[in-house]
Amino acid sequence: MTEATGSTWQVELARALAEGGVEAAAWVPDKRLAPVAEALSALSVPVRTLTREEECVGWAAGYRAAGGTPLVLMQCSGLGNSLNAIGSLVLPYGLGFPLILSMRGALGERNPAQMALGRTAVPMLELLGIQAFRLRRPQDAAMLARGALGVADGARELAPIVLEPELDMAG
Amino acid sequence: MNPTQAVAALLRAHPDALFVASLGTATSALRAAGDDGPHLYMGGSMGSALAVAMGVAEKRPDRPVVAVLGDGESVMGAGSLWSLAGVRPANLLAVVLVDGHYTITGGQPLGVPAVFAEVARTLDLAADVAGSEADAERLARDLRLPGLLEIRYDQRTWPGPSPFVDAPVVRARFEAAATP
Repeated sequence: MTEATGSTWQVELARALAEGGVEAAAWVPDKRLAPVAEALSALSVPVRTLTREEECVGWAAGYRAAGGTPLVLMQCSGLGNSLNAIGSLVLPYGLGFPLILSMRGALGERNPAQMALGRTAVPMLELLGIQAFRLRRPQDAAMLARGALGVADGARELAPIVLEPELDMAG
Repeated sequence: MNPTQAVAALLRAHPDALFVASLGTATSALRAAGDDGPHLYMGGSMGSALAVAMGVAEKRPDRPVVAVLGDGESVMGAGSLWSLAGVRPANLLAVVLVDGHYTITGGQPLGVPAVFAEVARTLDLAADVAGSEADAERLARDLRLPGLLEIRYDQRTWPGPSPFVDAPVVRARFEAAATP
């Protein structure tokens, strides 16, 4: 569906992350994230499929603690599954990495079950003291990726890139 | 055998490995048996330690990695056994210290079957059970990787050192030990 040579925001995001030093990624499969994962694989970044988002956070924490630059991709509902790993591992140990959060339960959502976590995903991050970086325009993908990597590598903080619904609504 | 003796056997089997220890008994036992070495001790995030060890193993494929896990920890993060079987890191040994209790929360019974080696075998991982220090050392050294070693111990003595570690210090020491 998507090729690494294309110019979709998913490919731009993956390319900027790979060029910025991301070495490996973990995810729980998601339809909207799949083109990003495919683009990462095409760029020789291994993408590991784990069973739960909390595991992806743990995996990335270990990868970071061993001196690497990992990436996690998850749907915002998976953030709920990950809160303890973020609060009692990522934050106290200072293990920053970029986290791509695909939003559900936001503008255009038709599934009632998605709304609560969609509404609260970014506020939950903020309550934990984590700054979320929102991606709304396709042309900003590479810029946000580079900025988030700076925050993760340099400031050693979790750097969520929030994929807002507007990304797929534009033109 | 007590948990400190079990972990001492692992350290003898893998003196050059990177160790990750789960919250509670595993962390206290690794601190006690390993002279508080620069290992990755979990002060929280119960259920995540095997996934953390998988991340370490992915970044350092040139080093053996040992995950020292409690039994409560392992049932809480049971999905990671499936992840281990899917990703199959060739340098990772998962060790479950089995005493059938949640020690860190006051010694409540596990309440579910402690069948880690059986589950691992079903998932096509190499797996075995040790009931003595000698068996633990030999199996930890010889088990094909990725593998899972269940160590059953009967003396439920608390190892001693606090499991509430200084997280930034642990991270900095481990990163230095893990980085060439």
